[in-house]
Amino acid sequence: MTQNVLFLLVLVAALGFFSYNAQRLVRYLTTGHDEHRTDHPWTRLRNVVVIGIGQSKILREPFAGILHASVFWGFVILTLGSIEILARGVFPAFGFDRMLPTPVHGLFLLSQELFAGLVLAAVVVLLYRRLVIKPRRLQGDKVHSGDAVFILSMIAALMVTLFLSATFDRVVEARHAAAFQPISSVLALVFGGVSPGTARSIATASTWSHALLLLAFLNYLPYSKHLHVITSLPNTFFSNTSGPGQVGVMRPMDLEAEGVETFGASDVKDLSWKNLLDGYSCTECGRCTAACPANITGKPLSPRKIVVNVRQRTMEIAPLLKGDRAEAAHAVLAGGEGDDAGGGTVGERVGHRLLDTYITEDELWACTSCRACVQECPVSIDQLDVINELRRNLVLTESRFPEEIQPAFEAMERNGAPWKFQPADRGRWADGLGVTTMAEFAERNERPDVLFWVGCMASFDDRAKKIAVAFARILNAAGIRFAILAQEESCNGDPARRMGNEYLYQMLARQAIETLDRYHVTTIVTTCPHCFHQIGNEYPQLGGHYEVIHHSTYIERLLQQELVPLRTENGKQLVVAYHDSCYLGRYNDVYDAPRETLKRALPVVTVAEPPRNRSRGLCCGAGGGRMWMEERVGKRINVERTEELLGTGADALAVACPFCMTMISDGAKALGSDVPVYDIAEVVAGQLER
Amino acid sequence: MKIAVCIKRVPEMDVRFKIAPSGTSVDETGLKWDMSDFDGYAVEAALQLTEKLGNGEVVVVTVGPDAAQETLRKALSMGVTRAVHLKVDAIPFDNFAIARALATELQGGGYDLILFGKMSIDSSNGAVGPITAELLNLPCVAAASKLEIANGKGTARRELEGAAELLEFPLPAVVSIDEGVARPRYPSLKGIMAAKKKPLEVKPAQLGDLRMTVSTMALPPDRPPGRILGEGVAAVPELVRLLQTEAKVL
Repeated sequence: MTQNVLFLLVLVAALGFFSYNAQRLVRYLTTGHDEHRTDHPWTRLRNVVVIGIGQSKILREPFAGILHASVFWGFVILTLGSIEILARGVFPAFGFDRMLPTPVHGLFLLSQELFAGLVLAAVVVLLYRRLVIKPRRLQGDKVHSGDAVFILSMIAALMVTLFLSATFDRVVEARHAAAFQPISSVLALVFGGVSPGTARSIATASTWSHALLLLAFLNYLPYSKHLHVITSLPNTFFSNTSGPGQVGVMRPMDLEAEGVETFGASDVKDLSWKNLLDGYSCTECGRCTAACPANITGKPLSPRKIVVNVRQRTMEIAPLLKGDRAEAAHAVLAGGEGDDAGGGTVGERVGHRLLDTYITEDELWACTSCRACVQECPVSIDQLDVINELRRNLVLTESRFPEEIQPAFEAMERNGAPWKFQPADRGRWADGLGVTTMAEFAERNERPDVLFWVGCMASFDDRAKKIAVAFARILNAAGIRFAILAQEESCNGDPARRMGNEYLYQMLARQAIETLDRYHVTTIVTTCPHCFHQIGNEYPQLGGHYEVIHHSTYIERLLQQELVPLRTENGKQLVVAYHDSCYLGRYNDVYDAPRETLKRALPVVTVAEPPRNRSRGLCCGAGGGRMWMEERVGKRINVERTEELLGTGADALAVACPFCMTMISDGAKALGSDVPVYDIAEVVAGQLER
Repeated sequence: MKIAVCIKRVPEMDVRFKIAPSGTSVDETGLKWDMSDFDGYAVEAALQLTEKLGNGEVVVVTVGPDAAQETLRKALSMGVTRAVHLKVDAIPFDNFAIARALATELQGGGYDLILFGKMSIDSSNGAVGPITAELLNLPCVAAASKLEIANGKGTARRELEGAAELLEFPLPAVVSIDEGVARPRYPSLKGIMAAKKKPLEVKPAQLGDLRMTVSTMALPPDRPPGRILGEGVAAVPELVRLLQTEAKVL
């Protein structure tokens, strides 16, 4: 009786303290601005089931994935047992055995023992991995293993006490071995010689230890990066997930809003509550940083650090803003990569901000916006969203950016292309190909089936022009009535948007929408994944609604319908390595169409895959405006990627993006390789009947 | 410190110009317009001077049609305090008349420094600055690549062929700015928004009598296409001969 009252007091204190911390952390989230995150509820629930419960993303890395999934699933199952243990602490008569039919209760007991065993085994391997194997991605500047080792030891202790309590209960009651409690039955045989008195003491001590450890674990979480135990499922629910093409869309931005004087984010108050929840949900596994092309090649960017910095800055400033003056900075939540940035007196803490104090300009400009970090995060954190918002602040509010991108901004504004090309020359690549312009169709009161949006690269760049020519030849051969805008086309604005210049982007995008709508354009095909993503997925934010098809998909459809007259001889037996474009693959889930196109055009081709392919494909280095910036630090990303592609032993490399074309061609040149690089359209055009 | 910067709206130069049917001006259809490049350097120099001193006012002045207000707004978005638009229907090709209109406006304005770009990139005269200085009876440095102000005195550097000239002058003064002083800043959106609320005064330009007009305008002749003489050593004698007799560079 005394024990039960004592336990009740402990339970109330523990749950009370946890609730206090929980409401505090929830309140800190309101430091960020409001954001609607309950649209598409079924997609969100599906993500919770697949990514959260199903652990689909963490299992992308099989070894660590299975270990983590074991612990996670174990915890879900063992929580049922924990409820019984805590309830029994207060009401000794409580028990599932009285509520469930015997066979079902037997299964429950079996599940508890098996999963406790599984968790214990997994934790031991995880500890060995962290302390002995030390995988590279768990290392890093200021990445501490202490917290992880502590939590793993705690979980191990929880499992050990669970087994001890079950074992010695069995010894005390001198029960027979039972099939549904195999582990404790075996252990009870081992400890059968222990006197009933001692056994009773051990059983009681174990039960108490288990319950106290459980409550301690719960209360430790709000002070630890293992807060993800609580936040990762909600985080997955609230993640940016409205399906392919929508996941990589940048936040809409109202530039005309009254009274707004700063744009983008310079501190956590300018981010949304979801960005801050991302901070709570990061357990510093480093999958994002391990996949980051900038980080891989030695640039000063670590997506993990960006998220950890958001959490650190939240823990530094939110208690002050929310009136928790006595709240000490959280040793662990405020720790991690770059943890020497914050802290100090109240005045100093107020004077800090996320940008500059924690995250430097160089980190932000190193990003290629390839989305590998977002793709890899097992709890659906959006690192890129924070980078994009900080870039917007740098450009729109502070006018700070690498000086080499100013000419690109100015050219987009004046020449309608990110280079100083003459707008009047935009259609010249098509000279002599018999391509009709939109204006010519309109003059005849006709409309084409599709508009070929050529994009700046394929309009002006000598190498990329050949892609436009190849695609036009395919369209002509297939008898497609298509048009180009020629000098009426201009940059869609994507480079400006990715470089943070939302103002310039909206100017260009509105102009493009005006042109497209004037001609009542409904269907657009393009050879550029950036144009494809921007016009198809982001123009709706500004009222432009079009069906946009990337040429890889379009050509595949034409080939499938046997509309393209191809030569019948098979040609040479070639091995071609295909390089995935980020804006085609990770942004839009187009992985198969380019590969299928290659196979249909060259029936005897072998498509070789570098180790990093499809959703794991490494960026060419041109995205996020990196095309216009110098790459001064570390190894060149395009060289790294080209090495991987050449490493397959391919006879030729294939791309489906004019920017990748430039980067991979330059990479091959830098490596002294004469392996040719083709766009998939060029491969198909090369097989056209003469 | 009160600084005036005189700027000009000019067409973007990276295009193939056409001559208007009149034969005395360029066809303006489809042209994009912006602040003349050197004027951008002058605005930047003025902003840096006042920022360094921690106080002061930068005023931009232009002579031009209504559309020139876009150019003034751009300067305002860079951080200039206020703007004056001296309105004309079209910019006359008469440096003296433009200088007169500017001098009339600047006279008695209490400016410590009046900056110009070293020349406009469309008509390339480089004359309006020095004429304005003359009309205002002020010292003038043309094409300064470096400008410093201290203790009521200015020092400027001018790049010469293979040498440089360092000049000292009292204020007030007129200085025309060459590139190299400082790269013009890119206006932030914050600056663009703020510029919408900054004062922009419109007055008729006091040009006086126009004494110069354009009689005809013509495009430069097309350059003859390049020729390939051959490959390797065999082509060298012919190349040398042509460089001597035709190109006359050897």
